[in-house]
Amino acid sequence: MSDKLKQIINKQGSQQESGLDQTDNIVQLVGFVIGDEEYAVPILAIQEIIKPFEWTRVPQVPKYVLGVFNLRGAVIPLIDLRLKFGLKSKKHSEDTRFIVMRHKDDVAGFVIDRLTMAIRIKKENIGPAPDTVNGDNTIIDGVGKQQDKIITILKVNKLLERDF
Amino acid sequence: MDEFQEILQDFLVESFELVEKLDEDLVELENNPTDLELLNGIFRVAHTVKGASSFLNFDVLTHLTHHMEDVLNKARHAEIVLTPNIMDVVLESIDLMKALLGVIRDTSSDAGIDVSACVTRLDMVSGGDGNVESPVVEEAPVVEEAQEASQPSADEPDYENMDDGEIEDEIERLLQQRQAEDRAKREAKIAAGESVLAAPPEPDSGEEAEEKPAPKEEAKPKPAPAPTPLGTFKEEEPHEDDDPKAAAPAKRAPAAVEQTIRVDVKRLDHLMNLIGELVLAKNRLMKINEEVEERYEGEEFLEELNQVVSIVSLVTTDLQIAVMKTRMLPIGKVFNKFPRMIRDLSRELNKKIELVLAGEDTELDKSIVEEIGDPLVHIIRNSCDHGVETPAERIAKGKDEAGTIGLKAYNEGNQIVIQIDDDGKGLDPVMLKNKSLEKGIISEKEADNMSDKEAFALIFKPGFSTAAAVTSVSGRGVGMDVVKTNIEKLNGIIDIDSEVNVGTSIKLKIPLTLAIIQALLVGVQEEYYAIPLASVLETVRISKEEIYTVEGRSVMRLRDDVLSLVHIGDIFEVERILDASEHAYVVVLGLGTSKLGLIVDTLVGQEEIVIKSLGDYLKGIDGIAGATIRGDGGVTLIVDVVALMQMARDVKATTMIEASAEGASAGVEKTKSSDYKVMIVDDSKTDRTIMRKALESMGLSLVEAADGQEALNILKSGEHHFDAMLVDIEMPRMDGYSLATEIKKYNKYKNLPLIAVTSRTGKSDRMRGVESGMVEYITKPYSADYLASVVQRNINFKAEFL
Repeated sequence: MSDKLKQIINKQGSQQESGLDQTDNIVQLVGFVIGDEEYAVPILAIQEIIKPFEWTRVPQVPKYVLGVFNLRGAVIPLIDLRLKFGLKSKKHSEDTRFIVMRHKDDVAGFVIDRLTMAIRIKKENIGPAPDTVNGDNTIIDGVGKQQDKIITILKVNKLLERDF
Repeated sequence: MDEFQEILQDFLVESFELVEKLDEDLVELENNPTDLELLNGIFRVAHTVKGASSFLNFDVLTHLTHHMEDVLNKARHAEIVLTPNIMDVVLESIDLMKALLGVIRDTSSDAGIDVSACVTRLDMVSGGDGNVESPVVEEAPVVEEAQEASQPSADEPDYENMDDGEIEDEIERLLQQRQAEDRAKREAKIAAGESVLAAPPEPDSGEEAEEKPAPKEEAKPKPAPAPTPLGTFKEEEPHEDDDPKAAAPAKRAPAAVEQTIRVDVKRLDHLMNLIGELVLAKNRLMKINEEVEERYEGEEFLEELNQVVSIVSLVTTDLQIAVMKTRMLPIGKVFNKFPRMIRDLSRELNKKIELVLAGEDTELDKSIVEEIGDPLVHIIRNSCDHGVETPAERIAKGKDEAGTIGLKAYNEGNQIVIQIDDDGKGLDPVMLKNKSLEKGIISEKEADNMSDKEAFALIFKPGFSTAAAVTSVSGRGVGMDVVKTNIEKLNGIIDIDSEVNVGTSIKLKIPLTLAIIQALLVGVQEEYYAIPLASVLETVRISKEEIYTVEGRSVMRLRDDVLSLVHIGDIFEVERILDASEHAYVVVLGLGTSKLGLIVDTLVGQEEIVIKSLGDYLKGIDGIAGATIRGDGGVTLIVDVVALMQMARDVKATTMIEASAEGASAGVEKTKSSDYKVMIVDDSKTDRTIMRKALESMGLSLVEAADGQEALNILKSGEHHFDAMLVDIEMPRMDGYSLATEIKKYNKYKNLPLIAVTSRTGKSDRMRGVESGMVEYITKPYSADYLASVVQRNINFKAEFL
């Protein structure tokens, strides 16, 4: 019995290891749509994805900061990425989601129009951000190429940075 | 190296604890120069520090403490009498010792501070009786001495009577003994270090805990020791750190050992956070209970539910208090440093000042204790410098030569009051006003209207200093300003009372804890805000007519005072859509002597709230102190009353804000005639067509509505931005007058031109039209040109589009 167990454990262990080997050059992302563009952030930066619920407006902040909301006892800022990217605000629909992202101790929720899917993409398929958006200030980390489309990968730490 | 670091940590923690106690003892000693118990205690501190520092090779510190020890030892044996002058030298050396310890903490070495001057003075003192002994000889008895500290003078070997050889032997023996002790101590530490591996590792710093040996240090925060004992919430017997096997050089009488453990502050903070969650859950439970009660009135299980809810609520409250208490420190920790400060100041200023402490046991939250020190130093310095007069002046006034400064702390309701009294010359309101006028802090008009209390509060204004001459003690005009900011940061209030030539009394009222507060919840439009109850003086219901505008600011009469008003919506940029109510509520906020009326739409009630930070992303928003989570799970922002009062100064009267907001929304540039939009409201299709024909020639965009209700709905939907409306009076469902009245209830349509188009021509009809908010009155029949020109005039139609 215990031998069997060991075997299984060993097997699982080796599977995990081979899994690790793969992830070495594969990046896992979560894709979402804002306006007409598809964006993605690393899956590890996402704490959770939730359906929209009530938030509280906070005064004296830019329009794209909608306010704060209660995430199981923590007060977390809510940022509308449509407004942040210079698009017009839109009524929340069935597809609207809040993506809660975390970078070190910073946490914030972001309103997106619609989720697409979890994406596994090879590192060599990710190109640098276009030259036109150069410098450290860009929130674009790179551009992921897939068969039929390209996806803009965003820097989570930049998204969570206060810029007002 | 690790072992050394660890011993060093121990040494620093222990030394800082000892030194902290020292100041108080020394001042006490000066009053009772012959108190052997005190002397022994002080001597032991010097000795302990010396012993440990020599072991750790801090030569400078050893050198200094060694000479201190000499002087103190002589005092102990009544060979010298501690005069104030000698005390000055001793105190100076203790300051140096503190500085050295600080340097050691930061750099792990004691280089960089010159102690030679002080050492020379110490030598002069100890040599004062003509009996200069060699330092080594002096050191020897001390070791033994300390071991039998309880009976210090009895069995000390009589070195005076030994010959040189005997002394050498004795020294040799003692040195060996000491080395053996040091070894034992070191081994004990190592042994302890190994045993700890089995002990549970420290949760937040796992690897550190493994390196960290002695189990008794487990709960002590490791990195960068702060000068005060870290994380302790009760003063510990400092020697619990010493290994009992080692030669506990400073063992004290074991009387009344407090049963305490050291706990990392982080753990307490975490506990406090959890309690906060619990309080929120409790609030929520109570809310649900209320709803259930309503819905299932009379059902049996209700009683049971009620009982459970009240038990949970009771226990939560108790738990909250209990945890709060674990974070409490006696304020005596802060008070301790003042006897020394007063002593130094009185010598420096050549005044005689006595300090009377009371209520040192009063407990305050740790974070507040840490913040309160600086403000108190400023206030007490001020009292010494400006308050208490020189002995000559005092005698001339018929007062006791020595001035008294009282420092006491006590509980008052949910607050702690720290009261600083002096019997000095007091504050003169007239002088204060004149001085502020001179410095341009206040205007003449303000000065005239100022009460005495308000005048006293002037000393907290930046740039104010009443001392004619700036001394090194105070009078640079920054201190008291800092006091005010610091106290207000703690949600505290300062209250000053003073009488010329009798004295001044300053009261600092501070909340017990910072984490959970009582708050008043107010509503404006659809939003809610929480105002800390400590700053709320009262609430009043007023009708809109009671609000007056003076110099562009809203004010109201509150009993005999004029209270300036500000609408919470103007401060927090709340869009005011509906403003129908005839009444408003005014929350009167008070901070010290300044007052402000905050207009809100509704008062929701009083609630216990847990303060949560808004996080890095949103911190530092003007007027918002934080947020809390309400019983229904929603987030409510907490008002920062101090900031709000500042902001209120920049907000002009409500009506003026509205006008400018209107201007902004209308400011969309019109580039072609079809950018102008006009609504035609008439129940007759023919009439609508006539109007449409008349206006179409101008190229305006037109929207039609068949009655008042429909028009209102179109307006409310917000799809169109109208520049004017043509309104018929007689219509089904809702007539023109009602429509106009309804529209004018909305702030953003206050300036929308409403043009009545009607066949009613009576004077009373026109009057009613004006009353309901119509700007023009066109009577049917009319010419198309006339209608067009009226509309053009009202929508500021640009001529170039014609």
